Amino acid sequence: MASYSTDRRGALKIISAIGATCAYPHASDELYGQTVEHQHENAPPAPAPLKPAYFNEADFLVVSRIADLIIPATDTPGAVGAGVPIYIDTVIAKNKNQQTLAAEGLQWLAEKGFSDLSEEGQLAVLQPLCEACDAGELKSRPVQFFQMMKNLTADGYYTSQVGLMKELGYTGNTAMAEFPTCVHEH
Amino acid sequence: MADKIYDVVVIGSGAGGGTLAAQLAQGGADVLVLEGGPKIDTRTDFNTHGLPFQFPTRSIPVMKPGKQGMDSERSRGVGGKTLLWNAVALRMSQRDFKGRQHDGAGEDWPIDYQDIAPYYDRIEREVGVCGNLDHLEDLPDGIFLPPVPMKCTDEMIRAGGAKIGVKVIHVRKSTLSRASRTRPACHFCGNCMAGCDVVAKYNSADVQMYPAIRAGKPLTIRPNSIVYELAVEKDSPKISEVRYLDRETKEQGTARGRVAGVACACAQSVALLLMSKWPRFPTGLANSSGELGRNFVPHITCGIAAFLEDRIGAPPVNDEGFLDHAYIPSFMHDRKRDYPRSFGYQFNYQNHRAVGWARSMKGMGKSFKESVKAHYPAYITFTGYMELVPNRDSYIDLDESVKDRYGLPSARRHWKLADDDWKRFHAVQDWGRQILTSSKSQILSVSETPTTNHEIGGCRMGVDPKRSVLNAYCQSHDVPNLYVVDASVFPSASEKNPTHTIMALASRTADNIAERLKKGEV
Repeated sequence: MASYSTDRRGALKIISAIGATCAYPHASDELYGQTVEHQHENAPPAPAPLKPAYFNEADFLVVSRIADLIIPATDTPGAVGAGVPIYIDTVIAKNKNQQTLAAEGLQWLAEKGFSDLSEEGQLAVLQPLCEACDAGELKSRPVQFFQMMKNLTADGYYTSQVGLMKELGYTGNTAMAEFPTCVHEH
Repeated sequence: MADKIYDVVVIGSGAGGGTLAAQLAQGGADVLVLEGGPKIDTRTDFNTHGLPFQFPTRSIPVMKPGKQGMDSERSRGVGGKTLLWNAVALRMSQRDFKGRQHDGAGEDWPIDYQDIAPYYDRIEREVGVCGNLDHLEDLPDGIFLPPVPMKCTDEMIRAGGAKIGVKVIHVRKSTLSRASRTRPACHFCGNCMAGCDVVAKYNSADVQMYPAIRAGKPLTIRPNSIVYELAVEKDSPKISEVRYLDRETKEQGTARGRVAGVACACAQSVALLLMSKWPRFPTGLANSSGELGRNFVPHITCGIAAFLEDRIGAPPVNDEGFLDHAYIPSFMHDRKRDYPRSFGYQFNYQNHRAVGWARSMKGMGKSFKESVKAHYPAYITFTGYMELVPNRDSYIDLDESVKDRYGLPSARRHWKLADDDWKRFHAVQDWGRQILTSSKSQILSVSETPTTNHEIGGCRMGVDPKRSVLNAYCQSHDVPNLYVVDASVFPSASEKNPTHTIMALASRTADNIAERLKKGEV
């Protein structure tokens, strides 16, 4: 077993021995540069289906509208611009419970004439659901429906190319020759 | 294959099996490795560089299209979980091996730190471990490559921890921070747990077994071989035959060796011994003590999510690195507390290509969108890992009612926190909150529910054959040619990630087997 001096000076000596003189077989710095040549292409998104697999055209329009009210276009595209409605359709198509909840929620909105309301009117319908959702008051089915829509919209948007790369500015998944040392004061 | 008698048949090819097989073969023993899964090429087969939007459901499959592997607990692939591990490599300390001596709880190991230290040295020289020399009593230093710089967000937690006397150190990982003769250094692409396409991160196949084979050593790997039974001789308690099913054809096969090394990753090793029932061993192979399956002590974890205030609204940076760059070692041993043992924290190991927390931000519309964007660079995960003291309600058994496609019963885990474990869990929550608050964080969530990680125990080593399954060399007390080399053998877990100790123990066991083969004792 290696015996190390436990004082600080001893530690510094060992660190410099490993780092500078390549006493250790893995420390061959001349090979270090090869990592720079390892490049990653961030591949394009999978082609999305053009038509919803589960929702009919009218319901899909309402779903798209809700998604776009939850995450609207700003200086970057919103939920619709990022293809989120098709993602929502893909998920719900595979889940019976979500289908039931979606049917109930869409029916509830239809009774309020949601599709024909102005943006302000539509927000006035959804905002109370959103507030109940934030407060954790999830007993009512319309609130549960809103929560499902918000979850799916957030999941879909921030895993889309638009959401992750453009909106959030994700820059990872690349090769770095060295990990940068933090130079800030903390 | 049934005709040939190997020196050693190793079952499983991960950290334990890979280390054992490669070291024995390097020493000249004739070794067969039976691996339940297919051969996997870490350079080409994993979706290491996948991004969520490349997949319609946004979840990234582990394997690339048409590539097999990691498809069940019993059939992962050549290299086992080392292909997808996060590579944290921590030495256990003398206090970890003798926990009972220190605080009266749990069980001591039959070995001391000085028994295993030379093997930690050997593994670190062999595979390359980066880290800093920190001179901590409870986390011994090793032979390290230079540490990787901490992230900016790690430095914030280091500063916050220092204010309340909690030390943050560089993480120690079996990932190269400098190139070796045969492997490049890490390039920080940020997805270690989805494979490593350059083998900067250790895996047992590319770092240990394939080099032995390339050097012409007598090591044979048989992939797609799901071992379901170890047969014993009629008139002695020795293993005569290892029986397996072909993963694809389900055809039966047998292999024979002078020694069998079981390394199927804790619960599956225990399950294999429990499935091997014989008149001499009616409750499972090597179970004269009745301890097989008992003393299951998985790590208990508590996840905390938070936003570092100084990073809210800051521009995003590429700091995925090699996931976590820092670590909080156990710090409770010297403090007053009303429970035995301790815990540590792993943190900042999330990469930034999934934003699962976005849905929990309040509101909707433009303000919601702005809030997610502002918090994106500030998000960190922070997870406490604590030891579970063995108790009679925590064990592994077979569930005969749930069978897999090979007709084999599933391994069932039972675990429960005793009062002292709950006290420790609450301390993990409290200290986590304190450290994050001291680091100027907004805490998003603190898990109230303990979850498990790192399966440990179930086939423990010990001095007393009545209270343990294996001796100090991981050899069965009952079956002289049976060895087990994975985390199932740990009598106690410590709070440290187990793989480094699995490898050091496997290396020590390999020495013992080689010596006994040489002497003709097996």
